[in-house]
This record gives sequence, C-alpha cells and structure tokens, in this order.
Amino acid sequence: MKKLHFLEVEGNTKGFYSFLGLFGLISLIGVLAAYYMEHNGHWVTGMSNQVIWGTPHVFAIFLIVAASGALNIASISSVFAKTSYKPLARLSGILAISLLSGGLVVLLLDLGRPDRLIVAMTQFNFVSIFTWNILLYTGFMGIVGIYLWTMMDRPYNNLTKKAGMAAFIWRLILTTGTGSIFGFLIAREAYDSALLAPMFIIMSFSFGLAFFLLFLMGSYKYTQRELGDYIVNRLKNLLGVFVAAVLYFVIIYHVTNLYSADHRGITQFILTSGGIYTFLFWVVQIALGSLVPLALLYGPTGNNRTMVGTASVLIILGGLAQLYVIIIGGQAYPMQLFPGMEVSSSFYDGVVAVYAPSLPEFLLGLGGVGVTLLLATIAIAAMKFLPASLSDEVADPHGK
Amino acid sequence: MTINNENKNNGETASSAESSINLEASRRNFIFGSVAAAGLTVAPGMMLYQTANARSLSDFSLKDGASSKVRWGMLVNTTKEVDWNKCVEACNKEHGLGNEKDSRDDQKTQYIRVVDVKNKGTGYSMSLPVMCQHCENAPCVDVCPTGASMKRADGIVLVDRHRCIGCRYCMMACPYKARSFVHEVLTDQTENTPRGKGCVESCNMCVSRIDNGQEPACVEASEGAIIFGDLNDPETPIAKILAKHGGKQIRADLKLNPGVHYQGI
Amino acid sequence: MGLALIAGFSTANANQDGLGPKITLPENSEGKSCLFPSEQMRREHPDMLKHDRIQTLREGVRAQADGKVLDGSLKQCVNCHAIKDASNKFVRIDNEQHFCASCHKYAAVSIDCFQCHRDIPEGSGDFHALTNHKDVNYSNVAPGTYSLTTEDMANIAPEVISDDN
Repeated sequence: MKKLHFLEVEGNTKGFYSFLGLFGLISLIGVLAAYYMEHNGHWVTGMSNQVIWGTPHVFAIFLIVAASGALNIASISSVFAKTSYKPLARLSGILAISLLSGGLVVLLLDLGRPDRLIVAMTQFNFVSIFTWNILLYTGFMGIVGIYLWTMMDRPYNNLTKKAGMAAFIWRLILTTGTGSIFGFLIAREAYDSALLAPMFIIMSFSFGLAFFLLFLMGSYKYTQRELGDYIVNRLKNLLGVFVAAVLYFVIIYHVTNLYSADHRGITQFILTSGGIYTFLFWVVQIALGSLVPLALLYGPTGNNRTMVGTASVLIILGGLAQLYVIIIGGQAYPMQLFPGMEVSSSFYDGVVAVYAPSLPEFLLGLGGVGVTLLLATIAIAAMKFLPASLSDEVADPHGK
Repeated sequence: MTINNENKNNGETASSAESSINLEASRRNFIFGSVAAAGLTVAPGMMLYQTANARSLSDFSLKDGASSKVRWGMLVNTTKEVDWNKCVEACNKEHGLGNEKDSRDDQKTQYIRVVDVKNKGTGYSMSLPVMCQHCENAPCVDVCPTGASMKRADGIVLVDRHRCIGCRYCMMACPYKARSFVHEVLTDQTENTPRGKGCVESCNMCVSRIDNGQEPACVEASEGAIIFGDLNDPETPIAKILAKHGGKQIRADLKLNPGVHYQGI
Repeated sequence: MGLALIAGFSTANANQDGLGPKITLPENSEGKSCLFPSEQMRREHPDMLKHDRIQTLREGVRAQADGKVLDGSLKQCVNCHAIKDASNKFVRIDNEQHFCASCHKYAAVSIDCFQCHRDIPEGSGDFHALTNHKDVNYSNVAPGTYSLTTEDMANIAPEVISDDN
C-alpha cells in the first residue's frame, strides 16, 4: 500500500475559476431571489397561509439532512476504524460543513424577518425543538471543525477518534432533531409520527453519500487525479444499502399510517389521489429515486462511473421529491378541525391547498446548493482535504 | 339527528341559565368596566389618567399587568341564530385587517373565520366562528424558537412581533389554522394592533380592549352568542354556564385545553 | 444597544453644534419638555421604548404605578409629536419631516418600529379608532396631566359586558 498523501487542488487554473464563477453565480442569483422575496414580502411566492413552508424549505432541509449524512464516511473511518475510508475522512468533514452552511443560508433567507437573526441567536425558548436545532447546527459546525483539525494537524492525530466519536453522536442527535421538527407537529397527520426522526437519519445516510460520491468523482475528474475502482465500488455498494433502507422506512411509514384510521386520509392522499404529490411519490421518489438507482448500482452497470454518477443524481432528485412530498404534500392535505366531518370556510378549511412553486423560491433553494459547492470548492483549494491520488494502490489496504 | 336535538336542547338551557344569573354578573362587569375606563384611551391621541377618582386605579390591572389568577376565555353558543359574519367584520375593523393590496386570497390574514361543518352521515350541518383558541398548552408557544409566540399570564396567546423572526413554525404547529403570515408591506395599521410584513399574527382576544376593560370585538358583535369572561372565577357567567351545562373544545382530543369553548358542536 | 448609543452620541453632538433636526412638540405643550428633559429623552428613548414594550405586550402592564402612561408608549409619542404638512395632513414615516424620521435620517439609524406600528395618530388615514368613545370631550391636554370630568366618565363608560341579550 502506497503512502497516503493529501494535496490542495491547484487554484490558479482556468478550470478552477470557471467552477468558482459558476457556483458563485448560482449563489448570487439565490441571494438576489431572496432579496426580491424579502423586499416585496412573501406574496410573490407560492407560499400562503395554507402551504406555509415551500420550496426553499425542501432545499434547506435536504441540504441539512445531507450534511449530517456526508459526515458518515469520516465516522466510519474514525469511529468504526475502517481504514479504507480514512483517505476520505477530511473531504467528508468539509462537505458536511459546506452542506450545512448552504442549508442554513436558505432557511435564514426565507425567514419573514431575516434581519432579526440576532434575535434568533440571543432569545431562546428551550421548549422549542427549533431552538435545539439552532444550537445543534452551530454545535455541529464547531465539533466537525475540531474533528477536521485533529485529522489535519499531525500532533493531534491521537485525538481524532474521540473527536470523531463526538461528531458521530452529535450528527445522530442533529438529524433526530431535524426529523423532529416535523415529528413534533401533532396537528398535521402527515407529520404526527415517531418514525420521522429515524427515517430522517437513514435519509441523511443516503442523500449525504450520494452528494459525497458526486463531489468526489467530479473533483477527481476535473483535477485529473486518480480515483481507483476500489473506493468507488465500496461507496456505491454502501449507497445501495442506504437507498434500500430508505425504501424500507418509507414502506413502514405508509403501512403503519394506513393501519391507523386517523392517518389513513393523508396516506391515501399521497399514494393515490394527491395529483402532483402522488406523481412525485411514485414516479420520482420510488421509481427514479430508489428503484432505478438500485438497479444501476447493483446491476451489470455497477462498474461504470457514468452510471454510478447517474444513480447518485437520481437519488438526490428522488430525495428532493421525497422531501417535497413530506413537507408540501403534508401541508396541502387539509387539517382535521372536526375529524370525520366535512368542513369549509373562507380560510380554505377542508380543501387541498394549492401550491405552485415560484421562480424566486426555486432560485433561492438552488442558491443554497450553490453556496455549498462554492464553500467546498474553495476549501479543497485552500487546504489539504483531498488525497493526491486515490488509486487502488493507495486506497486498498489489502492491495499490494 | 339525535346529535342535533341534543345540541339544540343544550343551547336553550344554556341561554335560560344566562338570563337567570346575569344581573349580578353584569354588575360585576360594569364595575370592572368603569374602573377600567378611568385609565384608557378615550379618543384618538389622548390617554386619560384618572388619579383623583373615587375608584382608585390600584384596584385595576392597568398597572399590575396580566394576572395568572385570571384565565380569559370565551364561550360560543353555536345554536343561536346569529350572523357570524358580523363577528368577522367587527374583528377586521378592530384590528384593521383586510388592507392587503398584493396578497392572494390564500395569503390574506384572517383572525376569525366562519367554518361550516357538515356530518356526511347524518346530514347535520352547522356554522361556527373559529379563532385562536388560546390553548393552555399552546403548541405555537412551545415550538416558537425565540419566545415571540407567547401566552400571557392571564391565558391570552399572542405574538410578540418585536421578537418574531417569521419562521412560521407556529403556523405549522397550530391545529386550528388560527395563524396568518403577513405577506406584504402594510401601512395604516390601527393604533392598538400593530402588524407588519414578515411576522406571524393571530387573534389576540383583543388584548388591548380587555386591558381597557372592554370585551373583545367579536363578543360585542355577537349579539350575546359569544360570552367572554374569567374561566377561573366560578362567579362569572361564563364559568357558571360552563359548570352547569358544559361546553366542548375543538379537537379536545389533543389535550391542549383551549380557552375558547363551544356549545352545540 | 450599540445603535442606541451611536444615536445618542450623534444627536447630542448635533445639538451642541446647533445643527440637526428638532423634534416637534405638541401644540399645546406651551414649550414644556416631554416626560424628561430633551437631552435625557434623546439618549434614553430607545431603552424606554424597549423596556415598556416588554411590559405592555408580554406582561400586560399598561400604566405606571401612579396611573400615568408608561414612559415608553410609542402610541403616546406619536399622538403628541406627529406633525402635519402644509395641507394639514399628518406626515407619514417615509416623509423626512416625521418626528422620528427627521432625527433618525440625520443620525443614519434605521428603525423598524413603523413596519408594524401606526406612524400617525389614529383617526387619521384610512382606519378609524374604536368608535364608542368618539364624542367624548376632554380638557387639560398637556402630556401626562390629563384628567376626566365626571361627565366624561359617564360618556366613556364602555358598554356593559352583559350576557342578557
């Protein structure tokens, strides 16, 4: 096995600046979209008093969930002592921080009063799971930062395992917290389930790894570094397991909801009569986002990089669809003011809410992805996050 | 149809009970009201302070603030033949609602709305006004990250717009859909209900009226179909009627213990 | 806090130079100052407003122990200090003549009070005050010293809270 050697990405190249410019542009457009929304008020969006959280939240929660999942690779290496993942641990950490930042930017910019961030950071209501999330997010940044430092600063390498353990536990709590933002809402049938928190954890494994894999393959391709099959195959096999696990949770979630009469309505809505939500569920989330990637990853095409990349993209799209169905579909379905009764009012009681995402909302969400990529791109050029080579001789501990 | 009859009966007995106990009660309220009047806004631009009045202000809560001994509540009698839209109009006028210019209908604020309920099985139908239910265990207060969504000591749930960051989590949490988000820039608010873009808002039980010794606007407009009072004081009409004839809370199964009770639902 | 301090400094300095905007006083105040001397008001009004908004909104305290209006009642500020333009209409916050805007523009301290709060006295503009007190006559209208006659009391007694209708 060759010695592992980390090296910054060469920053002073045309290619690097093009990527920087592209991601910067996406981020900038996102910020401008947010400014447009804030300046006018949310009436310019598709959001309303019925669909309260819209497309920005789909992106924000995707990025936050993916952030904790991206850290998994590092955890496997430090906590579970799998040495073959060690070369990837640094990238895993910095991607986690970048994804979380991107998600938080979107969440912040969609607030009604983003200018009052200082209020959110100084006035806490500790009964609120939201407050805990604010602390968990900031804590995550700090802990992963320390974790990265122990990995990258040789004298402190002996602390890596401890820091990695802390980060691992923290990320589990964090995703539980993110899932609980919805799980604690007794008012809405779609969210009133203890399964949401563990489901969000397994979703984070899948989304985070898909994003990680794409970033890894992309960065190695464009820097012409060597990325051996050993690493890619391990990762894609792991990814397949996660996708299957998410599928399992989705099935359990819906089956248990079908079983209890008071949750049957929302489940039938999503599965059969929900229009766009039913379409997104079956076609994008289940077929394109789960079954096709499973076939691509485990089928005869499994060794083809393009196919692994395609599978990762599909998993991300499927994940966005899944969150869209959970977040927006869950709100579109009417709340039961009088269970079993037919209700109507001037405030859209008893009817399925109409929601059409507006362009600025979508651009804001995409801007979060831009911020993530921008941060990660700058990071790998500024510090030694990526191994100079991940050829099989370097990566495979059993290789010669 | 049994349900229907039961409800009707309930309503009738409730209203007769009202008239039998109202004398003493309205007296109490009258005293309450006039003492309150000594320190309230009487005209645009003028606050009035009565220091030399026989009834001392120290009796009254203007300076003491909301007391946890009191729990303000409402009792809505849905069996009365009342045009509930009058309550909605009174509310809109009191709080200056309906002044959105750009918002779509599904983005406009409503503090109180009329909900039509129909039982598909029996065909029984009714209408009732639904506003913030002022829960004892309010989910909106629990979930608010900054403490902007709050419950006053006297049980009134309201939004402190100085702290609201517009995250709208309270709207996700409220089982009554009682809250609205201000989707656009507002001008010409009423003096007693400041409200503006980017904050969440809802029925505040006309808190400034209550503090000034007046009933909420919807109660005043309801022709007696909504009673307002202190649920903690067994001598108030609202407590007496509830004690004698009972009342129901919407989604009582959620155990939020709303301060708004209904008869006939 | 930081902003408040900066505001305090700049307006205080402005005054020493004899520059900067002046706050309009109520027409009938006969040159009397507000609750406190101008210097103190300049420095402390943000804290007063902040303190009393918590009292009023969160605790329901609407008057001082002696029954006087809270020092930091924004409503009261507006009611006394709002000024009219040439056409006898109250100027809004977006006008530089507005009593808050004049100084805050000068000191370059932006405030968001009036995104929610009414910027001119009630009864002017599109919405109207609670109407059942409309006909009350009042006297002695200097700030902080209002009182009611017995006649006024009779007029303003709110409609009895009753359940017999």
